[in-house]
Amino acid sequence: MTETLVPQAPVSTAEIAPHRPTDWRSHAMERRIRRRYTAERRFRLLGLGAVVVSAACLAFLLIVMIAQGYQGFVETRLTLPLDLRDLRLERSPERLKGPGADLALAGAGLERAVDAAANRAYEAEGGAALLSDGAWLRVRDAIKHDPRLLTHPFTLALPVASAIDVAAKGNGTPAAERSVAKLGAHLSCGAAWDFFTGADSTDAARAGIWGALKGSLLTMVVTLALAFPVGVLSAIYLEEYAPRNRATDFIEVSINNLAAVPSIVFGLLGLAVFLGTLHLPRSAPLVGGLTLALMTMPVIVIASRNAIRAVPPSIRDAALAVGASPIQVVSHHVLPLAAPGILTGTIIGMARALGETAPLLMIGMRAFIAAPPAGFTDSATALPVQIFLWSDQVSRGFVEKTSAAILVLLVFLVAMNGVAIFLRNRFETRW
Amino acid sequence: MSNNPPKMTASHVDVSYGTNHAIRDVSIDVYREDVTAFIGPSGCGKSTFLRSLNRMNDTIPTARVSGDIRLDGEDIYAREMDVVQLRARVGMVFQKPNPFPKSIYENVAYGPKIHGLAQSKGELDRIVERSLTRAGLWNEVKDRLSDPGTALSGGQQQRLCIARAIAVDPEVILMDEPCSALDPVATARIEELIHDLRGRYAIVIVTHNMQQAARVSQRTAFFHLGQLIEYGDTSDIFTNPRQERTKDYITGRYG
Repeated sequence: MTETLVPQAPVSTAEIAPHRPTDWRSHAMERRIRRRYTAERRFRLLGLGAVVVSAACLAFLLIVMIAQGYQGFVETRLTLPLDLRDLRLERSPERLKGPGADLALAGAGLERAVDAAANRAYEAEGGAALLSDGAWLRVRDAIKHDPRLLTHPFTLALPVASAIDVAAKGNGTPAAERSVAKLGAHLSCGAAWDFFTGADSTDAARAGIWGALKGSLLTMVVTLALAFPVGVLSAIYLEEYAPRNRATDFIEVSINNLAAVPSIVFGLLGLAVFLGTLHLPRSAPLVGGLTLALMTMPVIVIASRNAIRAVPPSIRDAALAVGASPIQVVSHHVLPLAAPGILTGTIIGMARALGETAPLLMIGMRAFIAAPPAGFTDSATALPVQIFLWSDQVSRGFVEKTSAAILVLLVFLVAMNGVAIFLRNRFETRW
Repeated sequence: MSNNPPKMTASHVDVSYGTNHAIRDVSIDVYREDVTAFIGPSGCGKSTFLRSLNRMNDTIPTARVSGDIRLDGEDIYAREMDVVQLRARVGMVFQKPNPFPKSIYENVAYGPKIHGLAQSKGELDRIVERSLTRAGLWNEVKDRLSDPGTALSGGQQQRLCIARAIAVDPEVILMDEPCSALDPVATARIEELIHDLRGRYAIVIVTHNMQQAARVSQRTAFFHLGQLIEYGDTSDIFTNPRQERTKDYITGRYG
């Protein structure tokens, strides 16, 4: 073997150039340090700016909502002197207790009497038209509460008509504003409890949120009862049992796609399948819940799979090595550790379902429903749909109702998140 | 060497992960009264082989085991073998301490509970105390059994894992580099513990540390590139290896 065959080591320039020690105090080095600090500062400021902007947006939204919405929880009342002594009604108190009382008082012409009293007292300002259509119901309830009112004159603050109410809150028509100015001290304010107990109405002064709230509650119950078990079980099966092959890959891709499908498509699906094929009742929370469950399930599956995947494999090994069966590994170790993540995913899915309007419109939950639903198959509407419907109303009284309903929806959401956070913390400390 | 029949016998075992042939034609007998050490450079397949002794490789979908592995003469890969029971009979301690995120008591009591080894709370308490005592941990934790197992130090966690393994009263305990994540003091405790447990359970330990193999084991198997190069009494392997490669490895020439 000749020397030429031995490969020559490449001569590196580093070896030739004399080695100079790094000058850590050189001008260039100091400039680099300065630049590094600037970049650091800039990045921090950007992050802080982003946080401030998002917090400001949130605060703005909340403040505007509350400023507009609180009036929905307040009603204007008109003080009305009443004398019902000539009302043709047997005054036996027991007749005014039971279920016959409403009918007895209505039959005795209470509504007319109230209207007449209003006409007498405020003839110049508009008379009975000042009062809300439901005002006489307040009188009725007052009499039921205290039948002795029938024996002597008394005064009662009754809710005014929507136009007057809006005017009193400073946003009415000129005519209504004049009436308010004339009524002056006869008007007062009070909490609109009817808003929390009533259902939808064509009269803004009588419209309440309870019907929609109950509809939403029932719908959410159906959604949770279906989407949570199915979603979590699918996630467990896919993560722990399913073999990795083309079929499961396809399922995984499909679930991811399903989570991204626009919600109105689920509405169409619900319309075609639940109403068209299965002939389930239209506008019912049952159908709404089923449709929203279809939409929520993929979200729960994805979140649960991620949470299950995040459980360290060493815990699985440990359980298997002491002889736990696969189901014991899952139920004793994997699920408790994945529970916080699963719950978070579920609540995100449920919150999205709660705020969803489009699919519910498709299955008929946009109908005008004047009574709260009694069960899962009764006609009902849901909070976001109610907001949508009210926002579409011409009558000005519905503007504040819309804002108030949004506040109710937000409170519902916050309550749901609160429950989720509570559960999550419980599971986290209770390993 | 003893004259008793071997506790576990493996003959002509091959293990592959997909196309990767990790173990080729390995035959080893494990005896109840001995500690058997598997040594060899990283990636030589000793952990893979260990995991095939209690079928932990089953959890890896691509793993394929062929050959014959028997526990007391029973084929552990046979159809009628219940893998859950097998893993209770052949316990395992892992490289990184992996206590359950539960209390110390729960960690040890878990195995007996799922196998129904205790009829009453009192009996379970006794099993927990006995296991922790055997694992040399009882005196350190007896006043705080409800503390989380994860709050213990690394060495204590590993002894807790050993206590968890022996709580189900296994016949064989497999240890996969049980000291590699521990400091020398904790390592010494574990080695002492292995010494104490010897005879009660057949113990197989995988280790990178040749001094450890020499200290704790009676029999040593040297693996290289998926093959069993040499297997025999520890004293012979370390003083008088028959194979050149074994000699090179234990004298530190490679590996």
